[in-house]
Amino acid sequence: MRAAGASRSRTVCAGLAVIVGLVACGPPPPDAATLLIRSSDHMLHLKGFHFQMQITGFTGPGEPVQSAQGDAHPPDLHARVNLKEGTILLEVEVVFAADRVYLKSFTGGWQQLTDAQVGEFFDARTLFDPQTGLFAAMRDTTSPTRGNSEKIAEHDTYPVAGQVSAARMHQLLTLIRDQGTYQATYWIESPGSNLWRARLTGDLFDASTAATITFDFSNHDHPVSVTPPPLG
Amino acid sequence: MITPFRSLRRRSANRSVLLALTGAGLFLASLDAYVVVTALLPMLKSVNIAVNRPEQATPIITGFLLGYLAVMPIAGGLSDRFGRLRLFGACLALFAFGSFLTATAPSLSQLVTGRVLQGAGGGALVPAVLALAADLYPAGDRSPVLGAVSALQEIGSVLGPLWGGLITASSFGWTWIFWINIPFAALLFWGLWPEIRAGGEPRRETRLDWLGVLLATAGLALLTLALYAANPEQSPVGEGFFWQAPLALVCFALFVWHEHRTSHPLINVRRFRDSSFTGSALTNAIAGAGLMVALVYIPVLANAVFSMNASGAALLLFRLMLGIPIGALLGGWLAQRLRSYRLVAALGLVLAGIGFLMLSGWNEGSLKPHLLGLPFTVADGELFLTGLGLGIEIAPVSAALLDAVGEAERGAGASFLIIMRLVGMLVGFSLVAGFGLWEFHRATAHLLPPLPGLNPNFATQFAIYTLKVKGAIFDEYHLIFRATAIALFIGALLAAATLRPLPRPRWQ
Repeated sequence: MRAAGASRSRTVCAGLAVIVGLVACGPPPPDAATLLIRSSDHMLHLKGFHFQMQITGFTGPGEPVQSAQGDAHPPDLHARVNLKEGTILLEVEVVFAADRVYLKSFTGGWQQLTDAQVGEFFDARTLFDPQTGLFAAMRDTTSPTRGNSEKIAEHDTYPVAGQVSAARMHQLLTLIRDQGTYQATYWIESPGSNLWRARLTGDLFDASTAATITFDFSNHDHPVSVTPPPLG
Repeated sequence: MITPFRSLRRRSANRSVLLALTGAGLFLASLDAYVVVTALLPMLKSVNIAVNRPEQATPIITGFLLGYLAVMPIAGGLSDRFGRLRLFGACLALFAFGSFLTATAPSLSQLVTGRVLQGAGGGALVPAVLALAADLYPAGDRSPVLGAVSALQEIGSVLGPLWGGLITASSFGWTWIFWINIPFAALLFWGLWPEIRAGGEPRRETRLDWLGVLLATAGLALLTLALYAANPEQSPVGEGFFWQAPLALVCFALFVWHEHRTSHPLINVRRFRDSSFTGSALTNAIAGAGLMVALVYIPVLANAVFSMNASGAALLLFRLMLGIPIGALLGGWLAQRLRSYRLVAALGLVLAGIGFLMLSGWNEGSLKPHLLGLPFTVADGELFLTGLGLGIEIAPVSAALLDAVGEAERGAGASFLIIMRLVGMLVGFSLVAGFGLWEFHRATAHLLPPLPGLNPNFATQFAIYTLKVKGAIFDEYHLIFRATAIALFIGALLAAATLRPLPRPRWQ
């Protein structure tokens, strides 16, 4: 009798432990590929977000952009971009609105740019373009693997690492070399699908020297409305 | 009963070693007071701030001054309570930690925090070392030692921009300006540790006027914030100017009210009824503002329009800095000889004002013409004259203020002199920085940069545009230097109207 009672108690305890464990852990997070697709869709349907982009490592003389930050509701965005001019950094302001590109340098007012001129600066429209931008690249990331939960900006996220083809990255930023593959890591909130950080690494701007592009996102779904600025 | 003087219990060799070690720490901290002025552009670049957002550099300079000002009034009292060497050691550690934060800063906020801590640590060293020197040597032997300590601080301040410029231009880069402080501070701490650990220093229970310090620091911090033009395209002052400035005034009014009532005030505010005291304090602040404008804007002008690197900018500024100690000696001698503070102080401020007026006429070719066939340029002479004038006013203005306070308040008076100079530097620089940049943006509001693309005349248009931008930068600097000259002339009038003549020599 005593042995049967002990066995029953053990079973109850084990069952309780499993229940408590399940309640404490919550449902298991989705697999890496699902996380990427959900987050990609989610980010493309937000009313807006704030972003910061930082390029570190080798960038070379042909790559003028050092960093950018601003608010976006793709394809429209308003950003301050730091450009390298020799040994110094220069800040310019760019607006993409109503399919037009505007620039404000450190003197004078706003000017509208032609496509040729945009190409010589930095076409930030491509960063979050629904077909060719970062969120589209998330879906095209191959061999994704999910890591352990990490806090990014006080939010619980899962890092998902994978490979992105260089040709795909070249569409994202035309100054990136289009040969080989690059390493991509995305920090995706779960539950919820907010993308908080994305990091792209590899020999991005030179065949033998590494560089990293890091995107940080915040103010998810905060409405962003970008209108063409007054010229002059 | 005569209390045996502590210094009698120390061997003279020990005294010299203690003074050398603490003096070296003071020198290290004073080097860093203005060290950043020749390293600002690379510092900004390393925290990813563009060269066309120079307003963001303002807190790097004002942060140090604020930290310095916040601790200076209580550092003397703290050294009484905890011991000179203990306070010195703690503040040296704080200074080293501030240096570490500055050198490793990935962001502007850490850079500014590091500078504030550096200022707080460095500012407290001045009264601690002066008080230690006074402890170690009896009254009759004290003057040369106090003079040497003060000279160390002044020499450090003069050499700081040159030191910063040379390190920044070297392959080490600007961060080594701050990295180098850490092993030096550690070495000094190690040298002083046996004395600190022994803890044999005399300590006194002193009442510290914390509320006074809090009110004064809050007032200054609010005023600095009010004057900080974070967006000079829109406004020459801060966005919160209209609430921060009145609040700062309220803090200052409460400070004066509190100082009237407290039994241990930081400063005897009744002294302000004496026109010689008030006049010398204000004149000192105006001279401080003039010095700060020169310290910051000459290196930036050298970088921005004369395309000099950090060491070139430092050497250009050195011509002005060289004039300051020479002027200081000359001013003291002249005041004694002519037996007039007001005349010599006014002369110094007028010379400095004339120097700034000359600088306000500079253009791209101003650094080339030689002075009367000598191996110096006209610009060298103008810079030296400006520094000489700023140096000449130091001794008469300081002496007039110290004469105006009683014998018992002389220490507090000396601290007040330094504080007023720093307040002038802080407020004057904050004001000038915002208005200068606002003027630049106003002047270039319609100057559109040419864009490349299919533009066949881009190269020519860009060259013309660059010339126009340089012209606008010169206009901004001309305005700043002219405004500074006017302030210095007002200071000269103030000194001439208020400073009392030299008293007859007498021993007390």
